[in-house]
Amino acid sequence: MSEQTGKQLSKEEKDARFEAELLPVLDPLYNFAYRLTLDEDDANDLVQETYLKAYRFFDYFEQGTNAKAWLFRILKNSFINEFRKKSKQPAKVDYSEVEGYYNTDDVEGENGVATTTDMRSESVQDLIGDEVASALNTLPVDFRTVIILCDLEGFTYEEMAKILDIPIGTVRSRLHRARNSLKEKLEKYAKTMGYNS
Amino acid sequence: MESKFTEMYQKEPAEEKDGACEQVADMLDSVVDGEASAEQQTFFNSHIEECVTCFENHQKQKLLKSLISGHLKRVIVPASLAQTIKAKIQESI
Repeated sequence: MSEQTGKQLSKEEKDARFEAELLPVLDPLYNFAYRLTLDEDDANDLVQETYLKAYRFFDYFEQGTNAKAWLFRILKNSFINEFRKKSKQPAKVDYSEVEGYYNTDDVEGENGVATTTDMRSESVQDLIGDEVASALNTLPVDFRTVIILCDLEGFTYEEMAKILDIPIGTVRSRLHRARNSLKEKLEKYAKTMGYNS
Repeated sequence: MESKFTEMYQKEPAEEKDGACEQVADMLDSVVDGEASAEQQTFFNSHIEECVTCFENHQKQKLLKSLISGHLKRVIVPASLAQTIKAKIQESI
C-alpha cells in the first residue's frame, strides 16, 4: 500500500524533501532529455516541465522509492505526449542524412586515417566518443531510449519496463534490436578505421 | 589461445553446437546486463569456454556496452537550471 506521507507535510517540508530527493537527479535527467531531443534548449524545457509535474504530484511519490526511475518516467511521458509534437528535432530519423554521413566516412577511411593511430590518445578517445554519439543519435528514438536507460544510466530491465510502460519481454527484444542496429553502424565505422570485426 | 578454442569448437558435434549457440546468443544481452539467472550464467560460461564464435560474440557485446557507458560524453547541465526550476515551482503555487 502506498504511503502518501507528502499529504501531511508543510510546504517547507515538502520543498525540502523535493530538493533533497529529486533535484540530485537533475544531471542524469538532463542528459536523458538531451539524448531524446538532441537539442539543449528543448532538453532544458523538457526537464523544467518534468520537475514542475513532479512537484505537482509529489504527494504520490513514495518516499525512499526510486526517485530517478519516477522522474525518468515522467520525462518520457512528457516527451511522448506533448514535447515530441513541438520539438524542433523530427522524431523520425532522416536516413538520407545518415547515409550521407557514413558515405563520407567511407571516403575518408581510404586515405585519411593512419593505420598507426594510437588508440589510447585523448583525441582518439574523443573521436570514438563522438562516433558513438553520432551512431546512437541516428537510431530511432525508441531504440536510443533503451540503450541510454540500460547502458548509460544502468537501469534494470524491470525498472525500464516501468519507465517505458512496456512488458519486460518488449524491453529485452527492443534492446536486442537496438544493439544490433548500433553494432552495424559502428562496425561500418570500425572498418573505415582499419579494423575488421 | 584462439587455436585451442577453435580446436575444441571443431570437436563438438554440429547439432549440439547449434542448439547451444542459439541459446547462448539469446542470453547475450541478459548476461552483459547482469540480468541472467545463476543457472543461465553457468550454462553461458561453460559454453563460451568451448565455443570460439560465442566467446567472440560475448566480447563484442561487452565492448559495445562499454563504448556507451565509457565513451559517450555527458552533456553539462546549465548552471542556472536548478535555480530556474525552483523559481518556476514557487511561481506555480
